[in-house]
Amino acid sequence: MSVSTTSRVVVTFPDRTRARTQRDRAARVSMALAFVVAVIPLAWILVTVTTQGAQLLFSSTWWVNSQRGINSTMVGGGARHAINGTLIQAGVTALIAVPIGVLTAVYLVEFGRGRLARAVSFMVDILTGVPSIVAALFVYAVWVGTFGFQRVGFAVCLALVLLMIPVVVRTTEEMLKLVPNELREASLALGVPRWTTIVRVVLPTALSGIVTGVLLGLARVMGETAPLLILGPYTKNLATDLFSGLMPTLPTMINQDRSELGQAAAVERMWATALTLIVLVLVLNLAGRLVARLGSVSR
Amino acid sequence: MKRTTVQAALVPACLVLAASLTACGSDANSPASSGAKATGSTTTNGSSTDCPTGTINGEGSSAQKNAIELAITAYQDTCSGATVNYNPTGSGAGIKQFIAKQVDFAGSDSALKTVAVDGVVEADAAAKSCGSPAWDIPMVAGPIAIAYNLPGVTTLTLNAEVAAKIFNGTITTWNDPAIAALNAGASLPATAIKVFFRSDESGTTENFTKYLHAAAPAVWTADPSKKWTGKGEGKEKSAGVASAAAATPGGVTYAEWSYATQNKLGVAQIDSGAGAVALTGESAGKAVAAASQKGQGNDLALSLKYDTKEAGVYPIILVTYEIVCSRYADKAKANGVKSFLKFFASPEVQSKLESAGYAPLPAAVQAKVAAAIAAIS
Repeated sequence: MSVSTTSRVVVTFPDRTRARTQRDRAARVSMALAFVVAVIPLAWILVTVTTQGAQLLFSSTWWVNSQRGINSTMVGGGARHAINGTLIQAGVTALIAVPIGVLTAVYLVEFGRGRLARAVSFMVDILTGVPSIVAALFVYAVWVGTFGFQRVGFAVCLALVLLMIPVVVRTTEEMLKLVPNELREASLALGVPRWTTIVRVVLPTALSGIVTGVLLGLARVMGETAPLLILGPYTKNLATDLFSGLMPTLPTMINQDRSELGQAAAVERMWATALTLIVLVLVLNLAGRLVARLGSVSR
Repeated sequence: MKRTTVQAALVPACLVLAASLTACGSDANSPASSGAKATGSTTTNGSSTDCPTGTINGEGSSAQKNAIELAITAYQDTCSGATVNYNPTGSGAGIKQFIAKQVDFAGSDSALKTVAVDGVVEADAAAKSCGSPAWDIPMVAGPIAIAYNLPGVTTLTLNAEVAAKIFNGTITTWNDPAIAALNAGASLPATAIKVFFRSDESGTTENFTKYLHAAAPAVWTADPSKKWTGKGEGKEKSAGVASAAAATPGGVTYAEWSYATQNKLGVAQIDSGAGAVALTGESAGKAVAAASQKGQGNDLALSLKYDTKEAGVYPIILVTYEIVCSRYADKAKANGVKSFLKFFASPEVQSKLESAGYAPLPAAVQAKVAAAIAAIS
């Protein structure tokens, strides 16, 4: 009786192991496949953009000149005007959105209790779901419709701020939650005021995460197109004034050349502009990570 | 140790700021130099262009984009202190932005409407936003080509009726007897006809359907509009329909002349009853010359004779206008617009436009245009 029971166990056990091994293998393979499927479009985009656009990036004028006087059929000129515009707008957007976003996150994590905190958190959730075109139309309605102002670079920044704030708030919030409570308690126990604890202990500990969040938000707004099309018409000239006149940006430059698909010169410019935008985001990303590494708390 | 980390907390924001500030700081501005080499030294437009400094912005018709781009480049070479921006977002968008005071002039393929559309009378709204009547100033005429892709068929003649039947889907193959009757001796393939139309709201569509409606009223019964009412497959913008037709044997579309030639498409001759007429600057110019003024005074809105039967006239054209305020509140804007339009309308510039696929304005209209521009204040 007992012998037969053990023999049954001996017979079934290896079977079950094999089944498990196979399931494990199947899961591994499907995960690897999913990864490959996810990477294909990314690699495809990078390869296409690089092969089509890399050549112009090495032209002597690309990083220096604007497109003034360059018709769509002509080659030459550069993307300086659009690079300037994109950097200025992204910088000003970050300047407005980062303090608001980080302070909101600090409030939510460190102080927020009760109704107000729930309301703020809820609003941030709603803001996360706002499509960029809605943010753009909202700013257009207020800026142009209500106040009767011109479409200028600063209006674009306002729309981008709406898109960047929720990204910064959410990532900063998550990072602050990760800071061990023991650090706060230790600091408070030494008689350090709460605000000093936050500024000197909590924020530095979470710094690299916050920087990542800011960069994610920045990458999002730099590639954003809808607000630019509605609020920031393209111009071929250098422009640095956020409050008057048109301001060119890389996405609107891509859009401009996209409408000239019959022209080899315009198409090449379009790819090169796209590559420039990717490179710009990449460089900012790397620089940000470097800063975060240098500045983070060493344990 | 801790003190430096505190400051590091502010670094991300500063980094971005620094990046943008250095960007505007090293503003190595030699904008004209790259473009100037093309025409800079040769253009000595003696039209005594007075050069105001400053920026004027325009927006609208994409049909006139290539023309105005040429004009802007030449103008900025002559007047290096002046900047003109033009965004080809479409006639409808241009007029809307003009009324909303977002641009100083609008480009449009049709004059401001004097009857209400969707409760808005464009002409009145524009006048209200200007504080003075808005004027339609014709600047270039663009022939619309019926562009086809039939390997081996170099000349093809159509008339309004057959064209209307092709574009409303009644005629479906290229060797249809109706087409063969107009092309005696040509060997037409049995390829199926594939019509491509503009999916966006377009002044080109409006003018093309105006022609079909006026010259073949029995076949093309739909009212002309910016939205396509015929058959076929929609593509965005002139570049879209032209490249689609170029990629599809048997394809046919309507587009500005320059797009047809750029995409190496065949351009159909039009037989209005007095023999086949090929599309040339001259034959299209004759159609412009036959146009009559329907606006009053310096408002030069033109009414085109699409149903002409005259010999040697290519009837499918569109006239693109610059829509301006007759009096600008801002004196600098007025000077900028006047100076640029005067340059654009000058015979030297107009004669250059033919190579870009446009028909220059006839002399009689040019004189009126010059007078109207001079009257802007």
